[in-house]
Amino acid sequence: MKVNLKIYLVLIIVIVWSIQACVPDVDPIITKPLFYQPDGFPATSGQLNNNPVTYNGFRLGKKLFYDPILSLDSSVSCGSCHQQFAAFAHLDHKVSHGINDLEGNRNAPPLFNLAWHSNFFWDGGSNHIEVQPIGPITNPVEMNEDVARVIAKLKRSKFYPEMFKRAFGSDTITTQAMTRAMAQFMSSLISANSKYDQVKAGTATFTVDEQNGYMLFKSKCESCHREPLMTDLDYRNNGLDLHFTSDPGRARITLQPSDSGKFKVPSLRNVAVTFPYMHDGRINSLSKVIDHYRNGIVQSTTIDPILAGGNMSITDAEKQQLLLFLNTLTDPTFLNDERFSEK
Amino acid sequence: MKNKFLNMLMIAFVAISIVSCNDDETTTPSNPGTTTYNAGDVGIEFMNIAGTVALDASGATNYVNAAGESFNVSMFKYYVSNVKLIKQDGSKYEVPNSYFLIDANDTNSLKVDLANIPGGKYTGLEYTIGVDSARNVSGSQTGALDPANGMFWSWTTGYIFMKLEGQSSASSNNNYKYHIGGFTGTYSGLRTVSIDFTPSILIVDGGKREAEIHIAADVLEIFKNPSNVTIASGSTVMMVGPTSSGIATNYADMFKFDHIHNDPL
Repeated sequence: MKVNLKIYLVLIIVIVWSIQACVPDVDPIITKPLFYQPDGFPATSGQLNNNPVTYNGFRLGKKLFYDPILSLDSSVSCGSCHQQFAAFAHLDHKVSHGINDLEGNRNAPPLFNLAWHSNFFWDGGSNHIEVQPIGPITNPVEMNEDVARVIAKLKRSKFYPEMFKRAFGSDTITTQAMTRAMAQFMSSLISANSKYDQVKAGTATFTVDEQNGYMLFKSKCESCHREPLMTDLDYRNNGLDLHFTSDPGRARITLQPSDSGKFKVPSLRNVAVTFPYMHDGRINSLSKVIDHYRNGIVQSTTIDPILAGGNMSITDAEKQQLLLFLNTLTDPTFLNDERFSEK
Repeated sequence: MKNKFLNMLMIAFVAISIVSCNDDETTTPSNPGTTTYNAGDVGIEFMNIAGTVALDASGATNYVNAAGESFNVSMFKYYVSNVKLIKQDGSKYEVPNSYFLIDANDTNSLKVDLANIPGGKYTGLEYTIGVDSARNVSGSQTGALDPANGMFWSWTTGYIFMKLEGQSSASSNNNYKYHIGGFTGTYSGLRTVSIDFTPSILIVDGGKREAEIHIAADVLEIFKNPSNVTIASGSTVMMVGPTSSGIATNYADMFKFDHIHNDPL
């Protein structure tokens, strides 16, 4: 009898405890370091200075990233259009579809090494990684939700208050805490272990063709796709169109006609897995992207000075070498990192 | 020589104390001889008006703008920030972290509380309509600046400084929307407002008085002075540009000092 009572008591305690702990204290998949400075990378943007990445902030950010509760009808999460196997781009989608299958007019960009970016979106319209998520959340053709309603939904949740408390010390859910957690998760998406990185670190070697491709890259591409981020983070017109009425690009933000048709230079890291390409996804293979620079550059008033001389001369053999080099920028460690995966 | 100096010092001292006495008599007659004012709270109450009448922001009342267009108001919101109180000696006291969102349809928002203002006499007030550039580039903010308040552009980061919306027969779709912002560049919508209390004086003396500034904001001024804005020529102004900047210049002078309460507690 006495023994039974003890067992019952223990059982009750265990049950009560497990009900309270909806969120496990530790997630064995999430191992440190979550954020680090890869060798050879420049200084970060500094936008994490007031918001250092923590274990619980990362977990909350990841939960939010994959939670369709952020959308009006709970149908779309960030992860819907930012898929890990595509380096968090939207594979095989020129543009993505938001709620009710509404389509936007721009290609979902891949997400990695964002702590080195100061502005976000193809036109750089968002000036801080913390406020960036509010763009897709409120865009009528993406999640079409109101920030105040998102906060209200999170407050009603069984587990979010506890997760916020663990991450920020208070279970009061605010826009700032929500977006800071998301910034922590997004900043932790670091891709720096491709074959290219291993060659730079001296732990791997390029094949002869890859090496030749690398030399071609250095002479033809690197002035904009600057190493090691593989982007100079600037806005440039790469000769896609003569007119920019459908999407003025950077000019939409700066209101300067001289910025018409300019878009942010995308990183070439993981480029082999992020098709289709360009700000509107108009080119569906890397081979055709190189063809664009070989024979498709449109000269317009805002064409980038580097491309103003006309098409690039790249032979078929060189093109193959270039493609082989671009493949060395794929980072399988990043694409398969379980810490970032939706479970 | 020494005596002369001492005499002058005495005269100066007496003169100063007479002036101080006079001051005290107008402010704290019950306690003559002291010039100490204690820090206290100051309230600013915004009264939204349309010309000479109180603004009805429910959309039920029609008003006429300077161009003769009929319109009603269903939303009128604006940011008041970086509040500075101007002391009698001309120096300014900047109220730290002063960001307030005034919403004509939210009575609670119309009264702004400035806590722990240094004691003394103040002759005026300065503030910004909008949100300074620093708070536009530093990520997610809280309180009045919470992006959840709906005064935030996410596609091109920045706060909306003033929102005026309603219906008007002058608009082709019967609606008009002015969302004014822009914290940088030629067409910035940031404007500074100076309010002069003269001849009134704001007296802050914590525990003894309740100080409150009453300011009127006239919605009709958004459409005029210096440049007439017509709903017919642009019923939706939501992009930063010459039109939005012109509207900001118009509303920079919509604030009129009304009166001050310095009520003894």
